[in-house]
Amino acid sequence: MPHELETRVLLEHAEDPALRTMAGYKGYGGYATLEKAYREMEQDEVLKDLEDSGLRGRGGAGFSMGKKASFLPRGKMDKYLCCNADESEPGAFKDRELMQRNPHQLIEGIAIAALAADAGHAFIFIRGEYDLQADILDQAVAEAYEAGYLGENILGCHRDLELVVHRGAGAYICGEETALLDALEGKRGNPRLKPPFPAVQGLYGGPTLINNVETLSNVARILAHGVDWFKSFGTDQSPGTKVVSISGGVRRPGNYEVELGIPTRDLIYGLAGGPLPGCEIKAFYPGGSSSPVLTAEEGMDLPYSFEAMAEAGSMLGSGSIIVADDRVSIPHMALRTARFYHHESCGKCAPCREGTNWTVKMLERVVRGEATPMDLDIIDSVQDNITGHCLCVLGDSMAMPVSSMVRKFRDEFEQVIDEAADPYAAVQGSILTVGTAG
Amino acid sequence: MSGKEVTIVVDGREIAATEGEMLHDAAREGDVEIPVFCYEPKLGAPVGACRMCLVEIEGIPKLQTSCSTPVRDGMVVHTRTDQVKHAQSAVVEFLLVNHPLDCPVCDKGGECPLQDITQGWGPGQSRVIDEKRHFEKPIELSPLVAIDRERCILCYRCVRFSQEIAEDEQLQVLERGDRSFIGTFDERPYVAPFHGNITDICPVGALTNYTYRFRARPWDIEQAGSVCTLCPSQCNVSFTVRDEQVKRVITRDNHEVDDGWLCDRGRYGFEMFGAEQRVAGPRLRGGASDWETAIAKAAAGLSAAGGKVAAIVGDASNEEGYLVQRLLRGALGSPHIDSRPSRGARREEIVRLAQPSLSAKVREIDDAEVILVLGTDPLHSSPILDLRIRKAIRRNGARLALATERPTALDGGAEAIARYAPGEAAHFLSELAAAVGGSENVAAPLAESLRDAGKVVVIWGERIARDGATPALLDLAAALSIESTDGSGLLEIPDTTNARGLREAGCLPDAGPGLSEPNLAFGSQEDQKAQLDGKSTEEIRAALESGEIESLLLFGVDPIRDFPDTPAWDAALTACKHLVVFSMFENATTAKADVVFPLETHAEKDGTVTHPDGRLQRVRPSASRPGDIRPNFQVLSELSAALGHNTGINSQPTAFAALRQEVPFYADVTDASIGGKGIRWQDTPSASSLPSPAPSAGAPSERFAEEEQSSPAAPAVPPSFDEVPSEEGAPALGASFALGTYRDLWAGPITELNPPLKFLQPTQRVEMSPADAERLGLKQGEKVLVGQNGTSIEAEVQIKERVSEGVVFLAEGTSEGNANGLLNGGPVRVEITKLSETHA
Repeated sequence: MPHELETRVLLEHAEDPALRTMAGYKGYGGYATLEKAYREMEQDEVLKDLEDSGLRGRGGAGFSMGKKASFLPRGKMDKYLCCNADESEPGAFKDRELMQRNPHQLIEGIAIAALAADAGHAFIFIRGEYDLQADILDQAVAEAYEAGYLGENILGCHRDLELVVHRGAGAYICGEETALLDALEGKRGNPRLKPPFPAVQGLYGGPTLINNVETLSNVARILAHGVDWFKSFGTDQSPGTKVVSISGGVRRPGNYEVELGIPTRDLIYGLAGGPLPGCEIKAFYPGGSSSPVLTAEEGMDLPYSFEAMAEAGSMLGSGSIIVADDRVSIPHMALRTARFYHHESCGKCAPCREGTNWTVKMLERVVRGEATPMDLDIIDSVQDNITGHCLCVLGDSMAMPVSSMVRKFRDEFEQVIDEAADPYAAVQGSILTVGTAG
Repeated sequence: MSGKEVTIVVDGREIAATEGEMLHDAAREGDVEIPVFCYEPKLGAPVGACRMCLVEIEGIPKLQTSCSTPVRDGMVVHTRTDQVKHAQSAVVEFLLVNHPLDCPVCDKGGECPLQDITQGWGPGQSRVIDEKRHFEKPIELSPLVAIDRERCILCYRCVRFSQEIAEDEQLQVLERGDRSFIGTFDERPYVAPFHGNITDICPVGALTNYTYRFRARPWDIEQAGSVCTLCPSQCNVSFTVRDEQVKRVITRDNHEVDDGWLCDRGRYGFEMFGAEQRVAGPRLRGGASDWETAIAKAAAGLSAAGGKVAAIVGDASNEEGYLVQRLLRGALGSPHIDSRPSRGARREEIVRLAQPSLSAKVREIDDAEVILVLGTDPLHSSPILDLRIRKAIRRNGARLALATERPTALDGGAEAIARYAPGEAAHFLSELAAAVGGSENVAAPLAESLRDAGKVVVIWGERIARDGATPALLDLAAALSIESTDGSGLLEIPDTTNARGLREAGCLPDAGPGLSEPNLAFGSQEDQKAQLDGKSTEEIRAALESGEIESLLLFGVDPIRDFPDTPAWDAALTACKHLVVFSMFENATTAKADVVFPLETHAEKDGTVTHPDGRLQRVRPSASRPGDIRPNFQVLSELSAALGHNTGINSQPTAFAALRQEVPFYADVTDASIGGKGIRWQDTPSASSLPSPAPSAGAPSERFAEEEQSSPAAPAVPPSFDEVPSEEGAPALGASFALGTYRDLWAGPITELNPPLKFLQPTQRVEMSPADAERLGLKQGEKVLVGQNGTSIEAEVQIKERVSEGVVFLAEGTSEGNANGLLNGGPVRVEITKLSETHA
């Protein structure tokens, strides 16, 4: 049974294994919205509902989905819709559950969004490691073709939509929307220069709408129940519900769907059960490993919404909370974070390529005790040099959390350096240790 | 780009710019330098990878890359605020994190953008104490280019060149993040005809030429601008000269000519200037001579022939060509001069083709809607045009139509391709002209691409003139309304570098300087009739054999290697009583000479050349002449004087003045107007002095049809291409094939006398279709004999998908098995036999 703090919309009936089949999904009223949209609605009506709903992208940037769709030029040309299912951010695992439990909700959302974007081709770019989920999607897509919800002349409405499930090769950068497009085109997955934005010139040079799995999963619900119903959840600026992935030092890690704007404490303590016995929460990433960390004091009582997190100097991102308790060495966590981004940097632009590499080398010196306090200033300054100077946001994704850790836990970094050893390394059962390779 | 004039404000100063132009370029026009590494307009769309050019634009919160930001009217930009300085300094610091800073031993030191930008925009102090990344270095990226991956700052210019300009797709970024490096698949050598350009565009010392490594430093060299005359592209180059010797050749961007690129032939060809085979002074049969003796000997031999004398000019400047024809017509009273390796167009056709309304500028390729390539493969005949055509297709969506005998390097990008049988250009072109007009015939599929095409640029190889196709070409031009369409035109790719200039300077049997009826000023009135009827190259050869001509002057040509029908030329030169050869290198032709004079290279010469599109360019002396070499114009002038005809020419300016005086449409071309970039004579007032074509009497082809039929070499009723294989039935082993030949880019002294390029020296390969190879039971690489009439050459089988059945191709000018040995001026059919069988 869902916890009382949860508000299940996208995960409604998720416990029913039959939901992933066409029959099961239709049993809960599935595809009725698609039929209504295709039979009765014009592109502008769909677009208006999406814009009015205030639905914000659930992939990380939080940009209004309806607005993004409205940027696509009108007229007869090849347009595309891409569903970004390359969920690779450390801490995020919500799309996995949405695709695994309710693939048809996503397909229905894609079909309706394609109507809004006037796209004839749609792709789901799913990370290669999500093998099970890709198999489930393949199965569901085949069922949808069978039922006439995809393909040529859908429901006799003279509209076509081809949907292809494409498995990525496992690079984090391919979750960046333009790198995703390059990878989909068969090229090396490197981000493209923006502008031109994908809405104007995206896949194969055509206007392209790119949205996250969770965003698209919301679409059918909004059209089914109306804008006012959707806006009854969440806050003014962050309407709707959010599936939040909670991991790290908590008793019940997992995905929880809540109204945006509930107290963060309710998420971490109420739903995830709070810290493990004998531990205290020191800090947490509120929106995946690319968000600046918040200390427990700073963040625990903030409403969990896009605007509140931004105001606190962090971000909601993909809505993935990683909790660090008092057993965790922050310098090691910084190094681990930096190593991830260093490993995943595509290398196209200089600040990210060299900045991630240099940061890792400096943090390695810190944890080896081969650094001086001056190095902490350099680390911080290098993060500042990266931020806002890169081709895409990957560089910032390392710089922001690392810099937040150096600033907020400088004492801990200095302690490591002073003692020429990490005081936490000796702690038995430390849950965050540093691997050998980057 | 709209082309609208706008005003932007950069650092408080108003700058005029063109709407849509990139901010970086607009700022540079306004004297504001914004540093860049990855940005290079020649490479096409910006990628914004290096992040060096970040600037502040009012109204946009984040810094923007100026290389990728199009200007808008009223845009206010700051390039020196603290925020911008901070970002630029940060990027330099990042780029240096892994850069070895080995400037003192780096070839790029002193001319290195990374050095300059570090000095100008960098932090001035390093904070990096961590280990830098290491690679094995330097290693061979190709036999000509070394790569030092530690110095590489990963700007991707070279990769973009390979993928988007040359389209050879060989260079790739391997690995990712800070482990990224530039390389090729499987570490194979990067061998491609334009790959040397990556050393020019590399902004650090990561890509260096093996021919230049450790040869000089920027402070002991001079850059000398000139023109490369190794092919008709006439690319603008700059010679890097140290101690009066050429050490390197780099591009000297001229958008009107070469678009800023240079092929490897032009780049690395200079090493042959110092070859052992170089003719370094005058020589007589048996040994070196002093100039006075050699000139006296040459003059005596030429005049002893009593007017039975001829000349053929090849690699020569306009002035040299002018002087040779003047020597012949004025001093020796003979009209027998030609500048073409084989048959060519008549004066009347040349005059017609030279009309400015019919001719295309190189730049017009960029904006063409359709590009039609006829009878030539630009990669081999004028390499830089290959890049230009690719650019027009890739960036501007031009459509490409091809009609050739042999598959070309451009086939992959073509919308329509037609293959005609060797020697059938004339027939095919008249069919094409008719098809453009609406006829349903063999050329109709190709014509489909050309109908209502708008701007059409036709790039045609001089070779089709050998097949008598010029009249049909003029018909085609009429059918395409080229004369009346702005941006449409014909562009010839001649067989030799300065073919156009030599024709216009009077090196034609039926035209004098300025394409005039031959100038009679120097001959007696009685000779008038004879003056109008000079012998062409092929006729000169026949006349040598028959004894009708006794003495021959060859200037910059090697008939034994380069002209069709080697055995006949061998016989003709043997029969020649007195042979004077001007040559850069000793070769089979100079071996037969009575007097050999040295020629200057394009690094040593002073003179003008005329680009196929009419652009006069200046070749400037950059290096010293080795040995006892004198300026060619001086030798010709002295030889003329020794024959009793004083030209009054004693310097390049006087030679150029004489040329301008006699070629009326060059009259307004001056040294000053040629300047560094050249000037098309069509763009000067004197262009109106070009002779008018004779009044048209029906379509050109009709007018020439009669004469053509009477020409013995012209094919009878030409079989359409499809009939070629069926003529003989299914060819079994030993059955005959139509022979097509082509001049390979790398055949000749360029690879044979040039140690760095030796690895590119082509061996003779017979290209045939897979079906024919299968029928003959031949495998790729197998050795065969290709023969006709008892003459045969050895070749390796090269199976090519796109070769038509019933046709085989051989390369001309190779050191072994030169295809010219099999040619006889008409269509040739050859038989192929396995080499092992003949030995058995």
